[in-house]
Amino acid sequence: MSPTWGIVAVALVSIATLAIGAFGLRISRTTSDFYVASRSVSPALNGSAISGEYLSAASYLGIAGLVLIHGADMLWYPIGWTAGYLLLLVFVAAPLRRSGAYTIPDFAQVRLQSVAVRRVSTALVVAVGWLYLLPQFQGAGLTLQAVLDAPRWVGTVLVAVIVTLNVVLGGMRSITFVQAFQYWLKVTALLIPLMFLLLAWSRDGRPSAQAPTDWWVPLGDASPESVYSTYAVIVATFLGTMGLPHVVVRYYTNPDGHAARRTTLIVLGLVSVFYLLPTFYGVLGRVYAIDLIDSGRADTVALELPSRLIEGTAGELLTALVTAGAFAAFLSTSSGVTMALAGVVGQGLSNHAPWRGRLSSIAALRIAAAACVAVPLVLAFIAEPIPVASSVVFAFALAASTFCPLLVLGIWWRGLTSAGAIAGLIGGGICAGAAPFVTLALEVEGWWGTLMSQPAVWSVPVGFGLMVGVSLATRARVPANVGRTMVRLHTPERVQVDRRF
Amino acid sequence: MTDESPNGSGRVRITSPLSSAPPHVRSTVGQEIDEATGVGEVYMQSLIRSQLRAAMTVAITLLLTVVSLPLFFSWVPGLNDIRVLGIPVPWLVLGGGVHAGVILLGWLYVRHVERVERLFALLVEPGDTRP
Repeated sequence: MSPTWGIVAVALVSIATLAIGAFGLRISRTTSDFYVASRSVSPALNGSAISGEYLSAASYLGIAGLVLIHGADMLWYPIGWTAGYLLLLVFVAAPLRRSGAYTIPDFAQVRLQSVAVRRVSTALVVAVGWLYLLPQFQGAGLTLQAVLDAPRWVGTVLVAVIVTLNVVLGGMRSITFVQAFQYWLKVTALLIPLMFLLLAWSRDGRPSAQAPTDWWVPLGDASPESVYSTYAVIVATFLGTMGLPHVVVRYYTNPDGHAARRTTLIVLGLVSVFYLLPTFYGVLGRVYAIDLIDSGRADTVALELPSRLIEGTAGELLTALVTAGAFAAFLSTSSGVTMALAGVVGQGLSNHAPWRGRLSSIAALRIAAAACVAVPLVLAFIAEPIPVASSVVFAFALAASTFCPLLVLGIWWRGLTSAGAIAGLIGGGICAGAAPFVTLALEVEGWWGTLMSQPAVWSVPVGFGLMVGVSLATRARVPANVGRTMVRLHTPERVQVDRRF
Repeated sequence: MTDESPNGSGRVRITSPLSSAPPHVRSTVGQEIDEATGVGEVYMQSLIRSQLRAAMTVAITLLLTVVSLPLFFSWVPGLNDIRVLGIPVPWLVLGGGVHAGVILLGWLYVRHVERVERLFALLVEPGDTRP
């Protein structure tokens, strides 16, 4: 296939992203604009922006690839990524917004009155962010390689550069517009080709997918290990969403707690609509592109299908459209994660020695953004690529084992102490963060391998247990102002009470 | 009252409240909460409890329906032979049905907690008639 249209598509998406970012720059003036878009984003815009940022390459390309290989069981990924927002809505959304902090470390410090908790959660935000950025950068390289025959580094570097420019130049205000635009681009870029594909498929006599029963039936092999794996995905995604730094940081851009709830409802709708689409690509792939499984390129099934079913320029144009959407997926998620990391690290830079007072907070944000992109960029060249959807689940498991307990207990339980929070963050973090690497390094097989490579089912209880246990043991150190903090977290904004800490 | 005096003499009678009497104390619920009195604590506790109850209701509903689906699928074989519009039932449920249920649950939750918060606001500031 000639790569011309693909190049045009990638170029258009890149230019549109930078142009919308530049538009945001013209109205970004204050520090608050840069960090939280001055807390004035409406639910409809913010809902599109959160969905745009959330639907990463793992959703856009990864789900279709997993369905192609493994079938019905993989539908749990999109379910988890949606239901995660429901749990975020009921446990976290409004109180988190009402806490009035910029980031998770801010929340931790405000709630627990401890700088140590702040430092530990800053380190974890960076870890989750890098785990998330790495597969995005690698996936961008693979996509451009598949569609444009470009060397792998081209896509990786292109995404890193555009993301850094956008964050450095415009901050949160411009990212918001870019993300909202990219949600609608992603839906269009999967929906329109899908209609043509279904048309071609039914003209072809509606051939059925050639697959064993295992593929068709959920838990078809009925082994305890596949039941465990399903639950590992469920726990990690259901509970991990509320702890993802780039999702959480967007909640501070809502005007108030009511808007935070409405935003989440809109996100639930938008994300669900999107997740109807990749499944079709996976199933059609089983009909027309089964060879991709053996060649290890299942993640590219959405990119391959249009040119296989539809001949000539029409097929190439549709491929270009899917490519544009995929590129938007890489850009939007990477921008969101980078923005969240830069916000957290930038605050640390500008508030601490030896730069205190000498570095403006906007300059700190810019330096932090460049640094936060550089590390995963280097890692992307060193590390072996793994399927994008499963590697993203590592980041979810880490967030579920650390930030989920911190937020849920911090918001709903007065008894949480700083010592308990630190114990849970470190303990949960080590379980969820180290276990997968140990498995990969030692090549553990069998039940132990399954348990270690998908740790969420046991690492989340470890995180919660440590936080509750150590907090109870250090009961004397419950912050004195916890009552006032609870008033602030839970009273609706319209009620006039003293919200100072 | 000053210029309507009948003879137009411009005389003004000045009255004063009982300035030596202790002021009449009527603490609002907002003040009770601000001063963390026993009453204020009770109000806050009841608000937080009712919000937590709503959240737990959603979480438990999710646990009993969606989270128990894998077990259901592994215990009840043959579901794949039941087809609606040519699509096996498990695929319909996992591919779209669960998402619709999750949205409905979220909508019901938001409706409920917004009402709780409205009632709480009315309790704290009875004169407030904003919607």
